[in-house]
Amino acid sequence: MATSRRYRSLFGALVLAGVAARLLRGGLPVGRYVVEGPSMEPAYRSGDRVLVNRIAYAHAAPAAGDVVVLRDPGRPSHHLLKRIARSPDGGDAASGRYYVLGDNAAQSRDSRQFGTVARRQIVGRAWRKY
Amino acid sequence: MSRMTIDSLVSRAFRTLDRIASPAVAEAHCDIPCGIYDPHYAQIAALTVVRMNQLIDALELPADGGSKAEQAKYHNSLSRYVLAKEEHAEIVKREVRIIWGDYFKPEHTEKYADLHATVWSIMKLGGKNKQEANAQAAQDLLAAVQKFAEMFWDSKGAKTARVPSGQAVGGELVVPAA
Repeated sequence: MATSRRYRSLFGALVLAGVAARLLRGGLPVGRYVVEGPSMEPAYRSGDRVLVNRIAYAHAAPAAGDVVVLRDPGRPSHHLLKRIARSPDGGDAASGRYYVLGDNAAQSRDSRQFGTVARRQIVGRAWRKY
Repeated sequence: MSRMTIDSLVSRAFRTLDRIASPAVAEAHCDIPCGIYDPHYAQIAALTVVRMNQLIDALELPADGGSKAEQAKYHNSLSRYVLAKEEHAEIVKREVRIIWGDYFKPEHTEKYADLHATVWSIMKLGGKNKQEANAQAAQDLLAAVQKFAEMFWDSKGAKTARVPSGQAVGGELVVPAA
């Protein structure tokens, strides 16, 4: 009896944790993402899970080479995984706009199509896979 | 505790969280080439398989063995028809596989319960049409590809019509209706 009650409260805690995780998904400093698509191969493959540091750019600017999650300029509810690159036209961080590319250039939709992105469109920096 | 152990504990903790609430999706797609799908090529290739069977069927053996030149002409034509049949059966398989694998989403499979079975039959019929010179198998392949094309356009919210191919082969093409 005691055991079943314990399991019930464990189950309750899990449900609560789930609800909390869902509520906090957008607000925690660390975001969980699953990669979908081939544009960041070979560094990130479809299905890889990656933790994203959402406060990475609170006090530092995104730097060339950083892998970032950003809001898709055409579809703000969608998030993209790309790498900050040096802009081909010489634009740089001073302008507050960033040029992003997929590592797998042949199979990527990125700044070559949608242009540079504003800093506020960048959600965070890819921290590590998990 | 070693660095590796901590890493794997962190991974496990977040993996556990994933089971409770799924992670967000970070898209790394290639929307430029992937956004455009069309079952037209597959249908043209299936019609070509039908046509090659017609040509193979119509090809007459040289009477009494014929001259060397007549034999060469016969074998040359037959080889070309068989080769085209082989290649176009493969094109059907490839085109259908791409649309099936890259375009169709899990929610489609709920709506089109026989999608997988249709694709599977196209793969099998594609093989059969390579192995055999079989007019009926070619018609079956064409019919399966037409059915696949109708599911594809329906999933895009487009009505379809079956229009005459307008080619010597006859047959129909499934096209999105205006």
